[in-house]
Amino acid sequence: MMMFIDKEPHGVFFLIDNKSFYASCEAVQRGFNPLKIPLVVLSEQENTNGGLILATSPEAKRLFHLKANVSRQRNLPQDPRLCVVPPRMNLYIKRNLQINQIFTEFASEQDVWPYSIDESIVDMTHSWKLFGNTPREVARVIQKTVRKRLGLYTTVGIGDNPVQAKIALDVYAKHTPELIGEIHYETVPKTIWPINNLTDVWGIGNRTAKHLNRLGIHNMYELAHKNPYLLKQEMGLIGEQLFATAWGVDRSKVSHKPVTKSASLGNSQVLPRDYLGQQEIETVIKEIGEQVAARLRHHHKLASCLSLSIGFSYAATAEDGRGGFHHALRLPPCNNNREIVKQLIFMFRQDWNGQAVRNIAVYTSRLTPDTHQQLDLFMNPNRQIKNEKLGYVIDEIHQKFGFTKLVYATSLTTGGTAIERSKLVGGHNGGNSYE
Amino acid sequence: MNNDLDIIYSRIEKLFKRMSRTRYWILVNNDPYDQSYNFFFNSQRQGERLKSVPLHKLINYDLSYLEQVIKGLRSKTNLTIEFTGFAGMKWPSTQKVIQWRREQLE
Repeated sequence: MMMFIDKEPHGVFFLIDNKSFYASCEAVQRGFNPLKIPLVVLSEQENTNGGLILATSPEAKRLFHLKANVSRQRNLPQDPRLCVVPPRMNLYIKRNLQINQIFTEFASEQDVWPYSIDESIVDMTHSWKLFGNTPREVARVIQKTVRKRLGLYTTVGIGDNPVQAKIALDVYAKHTPELIGEIHYETVPKTIWPINNLTDVWGIGNRTAKHLNRLGIHNMYELAHKNPYLLKQEMGLIGEQLFATAWGVDRSKVSHKPVTKSASLGNSQVLPRDYLGQQEIETVIKEIGEQVAARLRHHHKLASCLSLSIGFSYAATAEDGRGGFHHALRLPPCNNNREIVKQLIFMFRQDWNGQAVRNIAVYTSRLTPDTHQQLDLFMNPNRQIKNEKLGYVIDEIHQKFGFTKLVYATSLTTGGTAIERSKLVGGHNGGNSYE
Repeated sequence: MNNDLDIIYSRIEKLFKRMSRTRYWILVNNDPYDQSYNFFFNSQRQGERLKSVPLHKLINYDLSYLEQVIKGLRSKTNLTIEFTGFAGMKWPSTQKVIQWRREQLE
């Protein structure tokens, strides 16, 4: 009998994820079994309001019923059995690279796709037969190899396409003792349709789940049996996509690199306390602006659109009625510190009337390659070229000797955060100073 | 050689705050995956969570070198040193056992 699935792309996809990645790395560093020790990775940066739980080991989850990973320190019980450690982002990045290196021993380099810091999609279609009789056997071999080389446990979702592998991983692999889950086109009715909690499925968050509930859809079976045209009418393209997910259909080609229509580049930070004074807020805006400009230069790009978002503190929000403000403006293509900072300060002064600030974001968009300079009638061209060079010289000094060796004196005033933050990776302790 | 020792000791000095009813000790792990010896500073106040802060990583993966570092460390501080991942190994110079039995959580 012909089935619709006969025409769908068939392959063997593994979605491999590390069990409590950060916590496991730290447990192994201390010589403990990642599954046995109750361990929590806690980031205690100044702006985390007492501490942020980045990862919990499976044993800690079991003993103390900890659930959401990024929760607060105040939800953490004071228990002598619990081991608390600071994060080391650089170590985790290194481990991630090592793990992907191991995967390339099982599939060609073009078929390994890092999905996040602890997840990778591996297209095993062409190579799985070399390592075992069934995909499950091969998954077992990969798990054992990673455990033996790095001491880490991995969970594997197996599917005929990436979305099946992802759901197999999220819904099934994490809860079986073997740490392997499997979904194929033939088993979709038995595996995907019985899922009652819509948010467990990849691509469905809280809001989408609520939207689906309003349409009378409360589980995956109902989603799969809804009229797809109606779904599309109601939710647009996403409705169609969700319908396909419910049938385990995924026509994406992982090897096809999506073209970014318009890239943007920027940075944001949450401040360690409410900032009240204009001077100290402007110091931080200046620091972020310089960081963004430096990144533009590093990528050899010029920006012609600049945006600034300011978030107020809770108290100021209640008083003001709005959570903050957002401004964007066009400027002649540039990546010059002084020009960018000048515009940012201008935007800030336009709209700020003394509210306490807790959140600052600077983004640039409409990027063009840095291959030319627009000469300006009102400026000496020699001066202009010199200004341009200055930025690159500063970058070179930062790269050679470290960021903290050359900073503006304002960064040393009470408001400045650049020096503290230069030690961080992704907002958390990088750990360079310890190795 | 004792650059490593200086690094470890200077970091211990900063962390060893000598609070009352608090246990402080040093954890040394034999890491076969990274081929290194990892040092950690552990502290635990009575009835509270254990806090473990990384001190240093000895890249020189040689037991007799580690023995020298430990010897130097013992001459500078009386903190207990706990060993993990050394079960069944002996110090090269004295032939004393490093770690009698594997920890429960290893």
